[in-house]
Amino acid sequence: MGGIQLIIRVRFTKLGYLKYLSHLDLVRLFTRSFSRSNVPIKYSEGFNPHPRFSIGNPLSLGIESESEYMDVELNDEISPIDFMNRMNGVLPKDIQIINAEFIDEKESLSSIIKWSHYEIHLWIDNEEKRIGFQAELDKFLQFEQVKIFKKKKKSKNKIQTEVNIVPLIGNVIFKGIDEDGYVVLNSLLRSGESGNLKPIELVTAINEKIEAGINLEMTRIKRLDAFAETEGNIYRPL
Amino acid sequence: MINKYKLDSILMKVEKPARYIGMEQNVILKDLDRTKVNFAFSFPDVYEVGMSHLGMHILYNLINGNEDYACERVFAPWVDMENQLRESKLPLFTLESKEEVKKFDFLGFTLQYEMSYTNILNILDLSQIPIHSKDRDESHPLVIAGGPCAYNPEPLWEFIDIFVIGEGEEVTLELMDLYKEHKERGYNKAQFLEEAARNIRGVYVPLFYDVDYNEDGTIKSRRELIEGIPSVIEKRMIRNLDTMFSPEKMLVPYMETIHDRISMELFRGCTHGCRFCQAGMIYRPIREKSVDRLLELAEKLVESTGYENISLSSLSSCDYSQLHLLISSLMDRFEDKKVGVSLPSLRLDSVSIDILKEIEKVRKTGLTFAPEAGSQRLRDVINKGVSEDDLVNAVSYAFKEGWSKIKLYFMIGLPTETDEDVLGIKRLAYLVKDLFFNRPKEEKIGNFSVTASASCFVPKPFTPFQWHGQDTIEEFNQKIKLVRDEIKDNKVSFNYHDPKVSYLEAIVARGDRKISKLLYKAWENGCKFDGWSEHFKYETYLSTLAELNLDGSFYANRKRTFDEMLPWDFINPGPSKKYLINEYTKALKGETTRDCRLGCTGCGIKDCAMWGVFN
Repeated sequence: MGGIQLIIRVRFTKLGYLKYLSHLDLVRLFTRSFSRSNVPIKYSEGFNPHPRFSIGNPLSLGIESESEYMDVELNDEISPIDFMNRMNGVLPKDIQIINAEFIDEKESLSSIIKWSHYEIHLWIDNEEKRIGFQAELDKFLQFEQVKIFKKKKKSKNKIQTEVNIVPLIGNVIFKGIDEDGYVVLNSLLRSGESGNLKPIELVTAINEKIEAGINLEMTRIKRLDAFAETEGNIYRPL
Repeated sequence: MINKYKLDSILMKVEKPARYIGMEQNVILKDLDRTKVNFAFSFPDVYEVGMSHLGMHILYNLINGNEDYACERVFAPWVDMENQLRESKLPLFTLESKEEVKKFDFLGFTLQYEMSYTNILNILDLSQIPIHSKDRDESHPLVIAGGPCAYNPEPLWEFIDIFVIGEGEEVTLELMDLYKEHKERGYNKAQFLEEAARNIRGVYVPLFYDVDYNEDGTIKSRRELIEGIPSVIEKRMIRNLDTMFSPEKMLVPYMETIHDRISMELFRGCTHGCRFCQAGMIYRPIREKSVDRLLELAEKLVESTGYENISLSSLSSCDYSQLHLLISSLMDRFEDKKVGVSLPSLRLDSVSIDILKEIEKVRKTGLTFAPEAGSQRLRDVINKGVSEDDLVNAVSYAFKEGWSKIKLYFMIGLPTETDEDVLGIKRLAYLVKDLFFNRPKEEKIGNFSVTASASCFVPKPFTPFQWHGQDTIEEFNQKIKLVRDEIKDNKVSFNYHDPKVSYLEAIVARGDRKISKLLYKAWENGCKFDGWSEHFKYETYLSTLAELNLDGSFYANRKRTFDEMLPWDFINPGPSKKYLINEYTKALKGETTRDCRLGCTGCGIKDCAMWGVFN
């Protein structure tokens, strides 16, 4: 024992109403599911052993995702297909593992993930503004500085800091208008410990800066994927 | 189904949206257009509380077990969700199909505590269903209610179409069967209610009865308004717990709830005969499940839920006649699966501790005992059959085994109570402390603390104390102060319940039909979640009582005479009124009554299932 670490990296979905599960609820769900599926997961030592797994880059409550990533430590080898099948047999249909592979990476998911790719649905009441959104968006993307206030917790105090979000935006692409009349965007945003922009913060900033007339409450967001970045290479964690 | 986009936008704005989404493991989702009778089951409190209630899991699986029937859940939305629903004009919906509650055939409430009653009115209103029974017709769900508090249905008489008295497994299905028949030939509410009231045992339709009052406000007489319905409602009771329906699945919430574990009923009923305890009277006679049946159920429940703890829940679980065999069998069977067993209530004896030692392998957390009263004299009055020696033995044993945190439960305001009895609470807490610190140095394990908790006694219907006048709020406060001022030790803490809540609870628990007006007005004036201290509006209740010209002390503090007709006297719970009178009389003299396992005490139950076993 000791030397070799068996780590399986999985990609899973979080769809439909299950987007309302908090990160803590999700951790509890996986804890129960590992035990129910009888996969050979490693437990921590001590009085209250818990399964060893870590979910990269927690998703905000209310955002769906097609690609969440998690590293799971195992005691015994098991084929990734077998792992997936056993887990999917006990997981709900909206949270399913869609890919799994052993990795020999040392770095944690949360330290390598730097970008998230989102699909954003916006509702704009005013038809003129809706149709003209592309042009307005282009204007927004010309700004060299867009400042927003971000709330931060420092020890016990909540403080507000002003942040220029432009460096945190990878891209914002107008995809068109869907059959229900929503404006659809795709956007790559910085994500993780070294810089983070929430999609709703981007939408709020767009709305303020170019007076787009977006009904913020009706915004629907889905994470499409997450990307790692090391030494200038951008790649999928799996 | 309600508007999905609207729902989505309001769920984004509430604190814990997972309360409203359903979709848990073992959820049952049926096509409501294809089932014949649809039942919305409501526990009138917030999701986390309701999901911890075993009865809900039983009825949910029982009803859904019939392919013609569907059962879906609805809980009281928390205040933030209520505001969102009202603002967006969305009606309340069930967790499974997100279907409007008002479209169901039945809306059934479980009545577990009186302080949830205003939530029932709020749920009806949020569902856009008329609150009064008389205002509802064939286009609305039939509103039914059951559970322990249904033994005094009168405070809710204007709102509920049908009460079912006693255990619900059989009678719920009988009602649904009858409804299905009526629906097939054209449902007429009045006809259905009549037939249910006439032919189904345990059914009470309050609109079919009238009550006259004396000048002093007490009840003069009751009469039936239609022919052929019973004047006395007999409670329902399942005779054989092994053959009755028991759930093999439980819904497993995503959110953390009060009881995140399997709950398994060992038996119903209780033989101790504590005189303050309503459950101990109304669930008689005692009936056990067999060890074999329990092991079979445990196996299936562990398999279907993945839970790692089984709680053995009953009124006094340590009384189970085969407890040792059951626990060792469970431990054997689930050893490799890391499934633990827990007991929610402990008797004050070393046998209980032995069992506890066996099951509590990991951490020795706190232990809770319930002496209920501070002096032996008062424990005899309430017929709580434990002595100070029992407490000393149990606690000493617990310390020896490594426990160091003890909780003691008491009630204040019990009949005949004196200051000396009240100070007994402090005395026992200090006794426990001394037992710990007088141990040899090497045996003082852990960080000691003792907590004495006092609740304010609420006399309940169908107990020997149903005639007793509750202490006034001032008396409660004096007694609380007496104990609080005497406890000056940082290892000993004292908690107590708010006497104001207990006062209201006493008004409603022994209320008559006039109390329905109080509930309605109080709800109109903003009362809900009365069991939550941050929402309880005492001043509003007081002003509402005044507004309606009702005297709270008439219900809470007045001592009744034996010949008074009590609002719930038309229900037969099993034990006879004669027995209750006799018990009250003995109580006042400090005489005890033995555990009826040791020989029948003549409570009046005909054909007691355990008579042959105990006699």
